[in-house]
Amino acid sequence: MKNILSRIGVVAARVLNQLHRDRRFVAISILFPLIIIYFIKLVFDVLAPPTFNISPYAVPYAAFIVHFITFILTAIVLVRERTAGTMAQMFVCGYQQIEIIIGYLLAYTVLATVQSLLVLLELNWLFDLGFSVAQFASMYLVMWLLAVISMAIGMLVSNFARNEGQVFPFIPLVILSVILSGIIVPVEKLPEWAQVMSYLTPLYYANEVLQELISDGSLLDNWQMFVILPIYGLIVVGLATISLREKD
Amino acid sequence: MNESASIIVQNLDKFFGKQKALKNVNLSITKGQIYGLLGPNGAGKTTLIRCLIGATKPTKGSLMMLGFNPTSQKTQVRGLIGYMPQTPALYEDLTAFENIRFFSYPHQKGNFFQRINEVIEFVGLTKRAHDQVYKFSGGMKQRVSLACALVHYPQILFLDEPTTGIDPKLRESFWQHFRDLTQQGTTILVSTHQMGEAMYCDRLAILHEGTLLADEPPRQLLWKQQAKIKLRRNNMVAEKLVSHYPDQLPKLLHKLGLDPAINRIEIEEETLESVVLKMINEHEKKLNQEGAQ
Repeated sequence: MKNILSRIGVVAARVLNQLHRDRRFVAISILFPLIIIYFIKLVFDVLAPPTFNISPYAVPYAAFIVHFITFILTAIVLVRERTAGTMAQMFVCGYQQIEIIIGYLLAYTVLATVQSLLVLLELNWLFDLGFSVAQFASMYLVMWLLAVISMAIGMLVSNFARNEGQVFPFIPLVILSVILSGIIVPVEKLPEWAQVMSYLTPLYYANEVLQELISDGSLLDNWQMFVILPIYGLIVVGLATISLREKD
Repeated sequence: MNESASIIVQNLDKFFGKQKALKNVNLSITKGQIYGLLGPNGAGKTTLIRCLIGATKPTKGSLMMLGFNPTSQKTQVRGLIGYMPQTPALYEDLTAFENIRFFSYPHQKGNFFQRINEVIEFVGLTKRAHDQVYKFSGGMKQRVSLACALVHYPQILFLDEPTTGIDPKLRESFWQHFRDLTQQGTTILVSTHQMGEAMYCDRLAILHEGTLLADEPPRQLLWKQQAKIKLRRNNMVAEKLVSHYPDQLPKLLHKLGLDPAINRIEIEEETLESVVLKMINEHEKKLNQEGAQ
């Protein structure tokens, strides 16, 4: 167990070291969501009437942007490991699946922590949402969990792609989740088959909890939906670990 | 079963869909040997190495490495082997030292950092140890990759074309080091395109389209082939083609009665390259005939 933990630490330290040197990657990961949110603000300023309550839309949209960008960056980085041969080399050198997945997850969680915090701060500032500290902290927790789940989904998807190009067919699935999650249309108004699909997207659970928080509720008011998020994350991490293989 | 064998391969087949990468390969590699794998691109050299290191599962047949099965006992096997891939698999944004430390961490032995510095010195990168790998030439990356494979004192070393892009002086020192390692009991399996290097091996396997064409010491391979002997008698030249000339030449001279007019004997021995090419061409011809039938 001690060996596994130390190897997880070594993988995480290596990834963090690489992130530290790859300033462009870090800048894209952090600045890109902030820029998109700023554009959303510009669009809302033109289209939304002055009395329009923007919070039920702006916060979930921001969550979706974090979800999408985190997913795609993680998937591509891991596929790059495979195409460069470093993934195979890690296995040959004695690293196990769980050590690679958790090590990556830990390192990218640092990035997700900063990313989610900046996104929420920008949102609060741009849209003048006036959330309480408790509301803000709860929303941050939900968004952070969503970012971690998105990384795990990215890792899972990367296991089925042999090159970066093979990640792209999965992108529409993530974009589809914005429709299925209830952000645009309430889930009850979707066709029955689409409602079933909604339950498969993490954004649905995140949106349910975020809507509760926006309407002055707390995490405890919709705890069933909130609890599903870490469980969902654990399941995806498990699947990503099992499906991470040395390919022929 | 050979007790002193480090690697035993029996009836090994590896198919990728319809493509037969390895066909009924049988090998036994003795402990402390440098064993060469020679063959053209696509011959199955890398596939054989990947089967042995447990990176790919054989379709049929059995593999044993130091008493372990590399497919079902991967963890045990990987602590005992070092692998240098054909294309260096390194993190370009990390330094040489960081790459070596990362890849050798799971099986570290003894004074880890001292050992890393030792292998860095051996591959001649001490001055560049803390430079990022993307600044390195292809040959320097090969050297980092070799260092990664050596840190944990492996009992079996797999080297997939280890000296590509390495200058002749360093290549010479690599082979000297490989020889030193075998004297300490390390078994080395090396794939190469370079015939000159193949002569450094204790034993040589020639692979073509997944089939093992020969498994012998390189000198024996050469002797088996024909040598052209030119006997110059005054202004006349008589040519004789003989197989295994060290045995055949005395017989020939006895037959000729050692004519005092013979003033010069020239032997044109086939090179390893021509021997290998001939074997491959014969195998290709055989495959074409089988295909036509």
